[in-house]
Amino acid sequence: MSAKQDEKLEMLLRSRRATPANPELAARIILKAQGIPQVRATSFWQWLRQLCAEYHLPKPAYILASALILGLVIGFSTAADITSPNDTSPINIQGFLYADEGPL
Amino acid sequence: MAAANWPDKDDHELLRLIQDGSHHAFAELVKRHTERFYRLAFRYVQSKETAEDIVQDAFLKLWENPGTWQPERNSKFTTWFYRVVVNLCLDWQKKKRPVELPDEEIPLADDQEPMDAAMIRNQEQRILEKEIGALPERQRTALNLCFDEGLSNQEAAEVMGVKLKALQSLIMRAKITLKERMKVYL
Repeated sequence: MSAKQDEKLEMLLRSRRATPANPELAARIILKAQGIPQVRATSFWQWLRQLCAEYHLPKPAYILASALILGLVIGFSTAADITSPNDTSPINIQGFLYADEGPL
Repeated sequence: MAAANWPDKDDHELLRLIQDGSHHAFAELVKRHTERFYRLAFRYVQSKETAEDIVQDAFLKLWENPGTWQPERNSKFTTWFYRVVVNLCLDWQKKKRPVELPDEEIPLADDQEPMDAAMIRNQEQRILEKEIGALPERQRTALNLCFDEGLSNQEAAEVMGVKLKALQSLIMRAKITLKERMKVYL
């Protein structure tokens, strides 16, 4: 390939022309954007706050729900402390159930 | 804020304001860059309407979800946005049929140019567009960014997410192919 061909190709590549855009294009984009709400990235706490604001429950409802959740958590954690996986034999359970029964 | 201040702000400042919901900042960014991104899109789709739609889509997506621009991850707005526009163009091309050259005449360079010379140049340009359109996607992108948009090789490499050497190799291969296919005109 000769240097002349290189030059000509470079010249052609640099002189490429495009049909000009509509002069109103920028204005059209700006106008369209005005009708579009933005999506904002929210953190978990923001989302939770928005959720609470959305439902707007009275305070006692929150207290009751929190108490219920707390109760469940405590209940499950204490149950886990009392019964270990080794305590599942049926003899132990029977012994517990009939412990107070004396011989007839 | 006074309207006269907007042109003084750099792209990053405008983007931060856009993230805070500023329509003025968005308007300034659009006015500043629409033409260049349109030109790039036109190179891919060879249709004025489609290129305009692609640029509009790209800007509206930015407005709708300004969090997609992350200054800590993207070095320069234009570098990042070139990538966005190129990806939209390539998506469009995958969905549509191969690009056809427009029926309308490409504007001539110089009104004073003799008719024959102008026609030859016009013909050359049309053949060139056709041959560029037939190049592999990455070679075409490299040519469009370096020759049409006037980006430096380094900037073009950043847009394409390749190393400088890889970009130079893409351009070299594209030129070799073009020289071969256009040897009648060179």
